[in-house]
Amino acid sequence: MNSLKRILSGRLVLGALSIALVLGAYQFATVQPDNNPALLPPIPDIIASFFTNVEAGSLQQALWASLYRIFLGFFIGTSCALIIGCLVGWYKTIEFLIDPLIEAIRPIPPLAYIPIIIIWFGIEEFSRVLLISIACFMVCVVNVIAGMKNVPQVYVDAASTMGASRFQVFRTIAVPAATPFIITGYRIALAAAWTTLVAAELIAAPSGLGFMLQEGRRYFLTDQVMMIIVIIGACAFIMDRTFRAIQKRLMVWSEARD
Amino acid sequence: MSEIRVNDLTHTFGKGTPEALTVLEGINLEFSSGSFTSIVGTSGCGKSTLLKMMAGLFDPSDGEMTLDGQVIKGTDRKRGMVFQQDAVFPWMTVAKNISYGPRIHGEPKAAQMAAETKWVEAVGLKGFEDRWPRELSGGMRKRVDIGRVYANDPDVLLMDEPFGALDAQTKERLQSDLLTTWKETQKTVIFVTHDLEEAIFLSDQVIVMSARPGRIRHIEDISLPRPRNDEMRLTPEFLDIKRKLWKMLDH
Ligand SMILES: Nc1ncnc2c1ncn2[C@@H]1O[C@H](COP(=O)(O)OP(=O)(O)OP(=O)(O)O)[C@@H](O)[C@H]1O
Ligand SMILES: [Mg+2]
Repeated sequence: MNSLKRILSGRLVLGALSIALVLGAYQFATVQPDNNPALLPPIPDIIASFFTNVEAGSLQQALWASLYRIFLGFFIGTSCALIIGCLVGWYKTIEFLIDPLIEAIRPIPPLAYIPIIIIWFGIEEFSRVLLISIACFMVCVVNVIAGMKNVPQVYVDAASTMGASRFQVFRTIAVPAATPFIITGYRIALAAAWTTLVAAELIAAPSGLGFMLQEGRRYFLTDQVMMIIVIIGACAFIMDRTFRAIQKRLMVWSEARD
Repeated sequence: MSEIRVNDLTHTFGKGTPEALTVLEGINLEFSSGSFTSIVGTSGCGKSTLLKMMAGLFDPSDGEMTLDGQVIKGTDRKRGMVFQQDAVFPWMTVAKNISYGPRIHGEPKAAQMAAETKWVEAVGLKGFEDRWPRELSGGMRKRVDIGRVYANDPDVLLMDEPFGALDAQTKERLQSDLLTTWKETQKTVIFVTHDLEEAIFLSDQVIVMSARPGRIRHIEDISLPRPRNDEMRLTPEFLDIKRKLWKMLDH
C-alpha cells in the first residue's frame, strides 16, 4: 500500500499527470462546437499529420537535414569555444588580446547576423551551419572562460609547489576543475543551437523542420505546424537528457547532485 | 643540503595602495639543513604568508629568502607545501592524488604505483585508494594532502597546520610518522601550528611570532633528546618549555 503510494507520488507519475492534463484541456477545447480546426487542430489530426508525413518521407528528410545542421554547428561552435575559452581564461596575454573582442560581440543576438551572412555566402547550407556555430560559440565561450577563471587558487598553488609547469597546471588542474562550467556551456549551446536552427530555417531553407513549419503556415496546415513543434520539443528534450547522462558520467567526482 | 635563510624580509600586501597592509616586518631566520622548526603565533600574524613565500608562490615586497644561497623565486618541487586549506583535487581518486607528483614528473607507471601503495598506507588510508575525495572526512582529506606532498619527495617540507583537523590519536600517530620520515630523509621541515605541545614535541627550535605586523618575538631551542616518545610530553622539562612559550603568545 505504502509503496504504491510512493510510486503514485513519484516523479514519473506526476510528470505524466501534468502532461495528460494539458493534453486533455487542449483536446477539450478542440471539441467545442465553435472551434475552428484551422486554428486549433484536434489531437487525432496532429497524429494523422505525423503518419502522413512519415509515409511521404518528408518528415524524416526534414529531421535529418535539421539534425545534421545542429550537430555540425554545435560541434564547430563548441570546439572553437573550448579552445579559445580555455586559452583566454588561462593566459593573461591572450585574455587582454581577445576578451574585449568577445565582450563587444557577445551582446549581439546571433540572428542579427542573418542578413550579412546571406549577403556574403548566399542561402546555402554553409550559411546555416555558420549561423548555428556562431550562436553555440558565443554562449559556450563565456562559460568556458568563467570556468577557467574560477579554478580555486589553492589547487593551482598545490600543483605548482609540486613542481608542475604552467602548462601542466593548465592541463591537469585548470581544465578538469573547470569541467562543471564547460559542461553547462555545452548544454546552453545545445539549446541555442535549436533556437537558431529554427529561426534560420524559417527565413531561408529548402528543407528542415523550420522549413516544414513555414510550409505549414503558408498552406494553413496547422496540424503539421503543431506536429513539428512537438517533434522539436521531443528532440531537444532527448538531447538534453542524453547530455545530462554524459554530464553525470563525467562528473562522478563532483559533490553536486541533481 | 637544503638550508633556508630569510634576510630582512618585510611583506606588505597591496603596497602603494590605500589598503596597504604590512603583515611581516624585519624577519631574519635561519633553518639549517635537516632541521625541524615550528612556528607558532596568533591567528593573522603572517605564518601562512611566510610559508607561501618560502614555497615561491609570491615574492616578498622587501628582503629575500635563499635556499642553499640561491634566492628563492618561483615554485619548485624541492620546496613542497601542505596548505592550511583543503587542497585535495576532487576530480582525482585518493590514489591518483597521492601519485600526482610522480605522474607529472614522468616517472614510470611502476614507480607511480609504488608511490601510491607506500604513501596511502603511510597516511592510513588503505582501502580508500579508489574513493573520490568527496567520500572522505575532513581529516582523511588532510591526510591525502600530506601523503601527496610526501610522495613528491621535496627537500624542504613546508607544513601549514597540517594536523589541525585531526583527532588526538591520529594526530599523535602522524606526528611520530612525520618524525620517522624526517629522520630517514633528512628533510628540512618548517611546521606551522597553534598547538604548543605539538611544536615542542616535534622541533629542534620553536619560533614565536608576534602580530600586527608579524615579527619574531622569540626563538626557543628545544634540547629534548631524540628519538622522542609520547611519555616526554609529561616530563617537567617539556612542561617548563610549554609554560614559558605560552606566556609569550599574545593573549
Ligand atoms: N592575499 C592577501 N591579500 C591581502 N591580505 C592578505 C592576503 N593574505 C593574507 N592577508 C592578510 O595577512 C595577514 C596574515 O595572514 P596569514 O594567512 O599569513 O595569517 P596566519 O598567521 O597564517 O593566520 P592563521 O593562524 O589564522 O592561519 C592577515 O591579516 C590577512 O588578512
Ligand atoms: Mg595560516
